[in-house]
Amino acid sequence: MPAKLEWLKGIFPPLVTAFHKDESIDAEGIRTLVRYVNDHVDGFVTSGTTGEFPYMTTEENKRVLETVIDESKGKKPVIAGASAPATKQVIEMARKAKQAGASAVLVTTPYFLHPSPKGCYQHFYELTRAVDIPVIMYNIPQTVGAFLPVDVIEDLSEIPNIVGLKDTSGNLAYTLKVLEKVEGRIDVLVGNDEIAVPSLLSGCSGAILMSANVFPELWKKAYRAVVTGKVQEAMEVQRSVQKVVRIFGGNGAGLAIKAALKMVGMNVGTARRPLRIGGSLLPEVMAEIQLELEKLGKVKPPAANFRYPSADLRSRFVDIGISAEIVNRERLRTGTGTAGADAEKVQVDLVSGSKKGEIGAVYAEQCTYPRHGYEALTTILEPNLMIRPSTLIVPFVALKNLRQANMVYGPGQAAVGKAILDGITSGKIHQKSMEDEAMLVSLTVHPRALNHHTMYRNVYKAMSKAITAAYS
Amino acid sequence: MSKKPDWLEGIFPAVVTSFNEDDKINEKAYREILHFMLPHVNGIVSCGTTGEFIYLSREEKLRVLEITLEECRGTCPVIMGTAYPSTWETFEFTKEVKDTGADAALVAAPYFMQPTFNEVYEHYERLNEIGIPLILYNIPQCTGTHFRWWTAEGLAKLENVVAIKDTSGDMPFLEAMLEKVRGEVAILVGHDEIVTAALGAGVDGAILSSGNIIPDIWQEIYQAVTSGDLEKARKLQAQNQKLVRIVARTGATQAAKEGLRMMGYDAGDSRKPIMRGGAFGREDYEEVRSHLVSLGKIPKKKVKFDLGSGKSFTVEYPAVEETPDRIGDFTLKTGEAFSGPPFHEVAHIDLMIGLKGGPVHRAVEKAMARPDETSKPRLVSESPMLMVVPTVTIRTEKQESHLFGDATEGVLQAVQDAIAVGELPEELVSEIVIVANVFVHPGAAIRFRIKFNNYKAMRAAIRRTLESRPTLEELKGDSEAFRHPFRYAP
Repeated sequence: MPAKLEWLKGIFPPLVTAFHKDESIDAEGIRTLVRYVNDHVDGFVTSGTTGEFPYMTTEENKRVLETVIDESKGKKPVIAGASAPATKQVIEMARKAKQAGASAVLVTTPYFLHPSPKGCYQHFYELTRAVDIPVIMYNIPQTVGAFLPVDVIEDLSEIPNIVGLKDTSGNLAYTLKVLEKVEGRIDVLVGNDEIAVPSLLSGCSGAILMSANVFPELWKKAYRAVVTGKVQEAMEVQRSVQKVVRIFGGNGAGLAIKAALKMVGMNVGTARRPLRIGGSLLPEVMAEIQLELEKLGKVKPPAANFRYPSADLRSRFVDIGISAEIVNRERLRTGTGTAGADAEKVQVDLVSGSKKGEIGAVYAEQCTYPRHGYEALTTILEPNLMIRPSTLIVPFVALKNLRQANMVYGPGQAAVGKAILDGITSGKIHQKSMEDEAMLVSLTVHPRALNHHTMYRNVYKAMSKAITAAYS
Repeated sequence: MSKKPDWLEGIFPAVVTSFNEDDKINEKAYREILHFMLPHVNGIVSCGTTGEFIYLSREEKLRVLEITLEECRGTCPVIMGTAYPSTWETFEFTKEVKDTGADAALVAAPYFMQPTFNEVYEHYERLNEIGIPLILYNIPQCTGTHFRWWTAEGLAKLENVVAIKDTSGDMPFLEAMLEKVRGEVAILVGHDEIVTAALGAGVDGAILSSGNIIPDIWQEIYQAVTSGDLEKARKLQAQNQKLVRIVARTGATQAAKEGLRMMGYDAGDSRKPIMRGGAFGREDYEEVRSHLVSLGKIPKKKVKFDLGSGKSFTVEYPAVEETPDRIGDFTLKTGEAFSGPPFHEVAHIDLMIGLKGGPVHRAVEKAMARPDETSKPRLVSESPMLMVVPTVTIRTEKQESHLFGDATEGVLQAVQDAIAVGELPEELVSEIVIVANVFVHPGAAIRFRIKFNNYKAMRAAIRRTLESRPTLEELKGDSEAFRHPFRYAP
């Protein structure tokens, strides 16, 4: 029977590998990160997927490992990633890890050429024969392209130095099947942040979570809650991070984690090429991460210098070239509406009229005068489905980043379009105006509005009110 | 021993079933569509996947078969789709189809419940008792089960199995069929994208959803291959690959119907839940339209352009059902179009067309008078007068070259082509000013895609602007189900 490891439980961050600008290893950055997470974790993992192991040499893996062991003063176990397509390569890596003082190695299913289940078994078997170090198997079908077969795990779990499985698949049915099959002979650790608490509640003994680089204290709290039977509390932690860990997982993993670490004040550089910001991780997604970290209290929100337009309705369009005098002279329709409260409050101010008059001129002018933060966009229900009468949405407050822009041009735009269409179908807006008129909408949303769903609902309400006011 | 009937080779369109606006079978239109195809084909397949067999009642299917037999009698053979999930129902229906007079039954693998291959074998073994020639039908995209070659090989030995139609697009599977049963039964390809490859490899014919739209071209390809002119076949396939890819990958039914509608046939829409602008998206619609225009398959009609400045003229315009007879008032016309994929290289164009001297022209002059900066709009063409405006502020040189280089090239090419095919009438060119707001994502990388997506979007935007589309009807059809891509949190 294999001896289980006493220490293999709790929270282990798979440390990102800090790089300098020239992509060389930044040892000081690694040390800073170890100090940042140290108090909240039960051990460390180096050169995992989040640590970008496929982009590193065996020598570099060793150097990172030594740095982490040195910085943690040997007080906590360090699990060394030792994954490669070939068995021989893995043996070599495990040997080096052992020499450097690793407590265990973490080894993925062999990847790229797809070995048979027999090949997978032999891979781990030969590793245990060649190097005397505890082995944690690593199921990560998202990158390997295949699941490690449960039958293979069942058999491998009889080998003394096979001590655990890290399951990153996110497939809870698979995890539970493994737990049932191995009958406690090895530990199973969850590696998927999105189902961390459910997995711990289902019998996983620990968690290797990429977001534990960023908020290890939250995962520690969740873990303590699970082991002391406070299910509700544990699930609350999971719920609070659900969106941000999903974003991490779907947007470059290590790359996203590094961006998040930078936001919380930790400079660990960025990922090695070909991964880059603007590719796997887009600026608008980073802005989303930033807001989530603000919500979690990890980042201090900037002071908001912000107010809703409050001038007399007819004078609210002066900035885009429509004065109260023009409104009166051309008998333009105006309407306003608000909905929601606090950061979810939205305000809509609309003005509309014949294309042949000033509205047409301003519409054309707005479209040919792009200014950063005030980009005017044609309202669509969805791409290739423009609303008529043609409607431009002009943000009242400058949009600072693509995420805010997405709020206005996503849920905001869809809701404006839907309100107009419903206005036409209900007869409030005359069908003839679809061709003859144009509409300008000033949409004001709070820069820290968080919830897309609420945004849609509130803009729809506010826009409907504005339409009723303008067209009755 | 060959069981392959002599008639079972060549091109067989999987005919759509046309519906009225009240969702009943439109018999008149169905007959017209048959007559459109008949000169070019070797036979007809009714109530196949493209014929929406899955959405038709037993009575409806039999009626469709009757009509088809009436129209085709003496002209060409009729193959009828008869699949159901259960053996008993497939058996009963196939028997009725035999009694009604179909030449063969096309039977998709029993779907939904995913029986094992042995159960599939026994399913066909039972159907074999009926006595009608059977065509096995492998379409894993819909049934969820892919025939194994050994199942198909075993089934091919059954007395009444005369052919296998393979729609999987899996060329190795098709090659295994050719290895095992060629000559014994007919082998028919059902995946439009690999027809020339399959014919070249030795299949006997093809049953095709895009055979609804371009039966003549498929027949030309078939003739080319059988007469040994592979180069010609390859060329024709490549020229039409985009069209058939769109049809094959967007669910076939609505795509084939919209293609027919563009050509003037009243095919109606697919039954719900298939909807306009759904799997066959509006972007696909525009692509198909551009393709059919360049093939000269969109009929022209007289359209009067009333500029609103007192000028007017009438032109022959390649028109679809939604094209108005009169295109009016050019004070300020607007339109929009989006084209992808991939994500980073999507193109989104907001278009304005206005009269010289009108508000659009004045806005252009004002824009030109503003001080220079990277995001300043540029006049990129004199005739027609065309301004490109960056939708999102430009911050890097790369973005600048994407926008005013690649994307602008695509926009200009679209304008030229629209003029060439008559979608942007020559008479209009000197009268108007065009402003295209062009979006290029800062993460875009593949230059050719930026150009090409902008080309596609601009072609569509020009048509929509002139035709005032979407119409109220189009908007209403989508008033609940529309899905804005940025509406949801990541």
